[in-house]
Amino acid sequence: MRTFLAIAVLGGGVAHATVGSALRIADVAPDIPLIVVVLLALRRGPEFGCGAGFVAGLLQDAATGGLLGVQALTKAVVGFAIGVVGSRLRVSQPLVQVPGLVLLSVLEGLARFGLLQLFHFPAPFGELMTYVVLPQALYNGFLGAALVLALAWAETLKDRTP
Amino acid sequence: MRIRALALLGIVAGVCLVLLTLQMRGGAGLASEALAVVTTPVQTVLARINRATLGVWGTYRDWKNVRTDNRRLREETQRLRVEALRVSETDAENQRLRRLLALKESLPLETMAGEIIAREWGGWVRSLTVNRGRGDSVVRLTAVIAPDGLVGRIIDVRAGSSIVQVLTDPASNVGAHVVRTRTPGIVEGEPRGTLRFKYMARDGGGLRVGDMVVTSGLGGLFPGGIPIGRVRTIDDRGAALFSYAQVTPAVDFARIDEVLLLIGGAVRDVASSFKGDG
Repeated sequence: MRTFLAIAVLGGGVAHATVGSALRIADVAPDIPLIVVVLLALRRGPEFGCGAGFVAGLLQDAATGGLLGVQALTKAVVGFAIGVVGSRLRVSQPLVQVPGLVLLSVLEGLARFGLLQLFHFPAPFGELMTYVVLPQALYNGFLGAALVLALAWAETLKDRTP
Repeated sequence: MRIRALALLGIVAGVCLVLLTLQMRGGAGLASEALAVVTTPVQTVLARINRATLGVWGTYRDWKNVRTDNRRLREETQRLRVEALRVSETDAENQRLRRLLALKESLPLETMAGEIIAREWGGWVRSLTVNRGRGDSVVRLTAVIAPDGLVGRIIDVRAGSSIVQVLTDPASNVGAHVVRTRTPGIVEGEPRGTLRFKYMARDGGGLRVGDMVVTSGLGGLFPGGIPIGRVRTIDDRGAALFSYAQVTPAVDFARIDEVLLLIGGAVRDVASSFKGDG
């Protein structure tokens, strides 16, 4: 299980820059590490979510050549927050999953933008939200929901196997 | 538990902010280098897997596209073939009808166009069914011609159709003569579907292979000058009463689709209407 988690976190962080491009639709790619962190945080709690977010974000920063620490921090915060509130949400429902992940992605985008503003990132807010954050948030919502359903289906199959 | 988690978050946030601050001041290169040591091989492997997967996927998609294109092109080819056949068929029909019309206009006789709707080609009887009958005022023994020459005569008239006895019918005989020598004779049908020219001539009549045989106009049934065929072989029987010549019909009875029925007018020589063939 620990190996799987390690692969999920590390792989998710690095895969985003390589495999993620294959999932691009209309030039919008999903934030796979964010989805992985959210899913792990829901199952393992805030500490694990925070750690997983930090590692995945850091690797993503390194893999994409961005400022080290930006995504590490935002994803750590997201992982922590989801770990805290996750137990109170009915996350098995797609009607919660999709908007939940969309909202989380938007919040993560806003946090990332705010953080980058602190370090003099020049991108205009409106364009960034319209062309990057919101489309990616929508994509994350649907892809995350699909992943949750796939995992639930896999677990059902596993339980049925004698 | 909550405190530990908050502490972890605090540490993480602190580390991140330190990293960011160091980078903005030109530091943290070592951290980037260290992370790159971990990420680069993983990225390389993932990129290879990605490329391989995409390659397989791309090949599959290409194959599917080729299959789709292949199917589409086959259908297109089929459609175009049918279209080409239809066009060529229409073109051929157009040509035939033009020739028929030209003949109809050049003939000094009243004619009626008819379409062949059936063929009897068994050997005992060789006949065509034309879509003109009693309703069109067709009468028995009406001569039937085509742009290439004589087809035969009507032997049976029905309400909406008529039966044409073709020249090659074993019971058919037509008064004829050879254009070049004016040698008279009778063209008879043979059971094997050929024509023979039976003529009286002490010296063989001077016939040559390739001579044109046309209707003589004698007997009043057919106008004179309608091409029947060309002499193919000559069977000169010397002192015998009759000599014979095999004649290749001017009309391809098996492929004829439209004909003209000579329904009125004084019987006369119509050779000039077929002068291209004579």
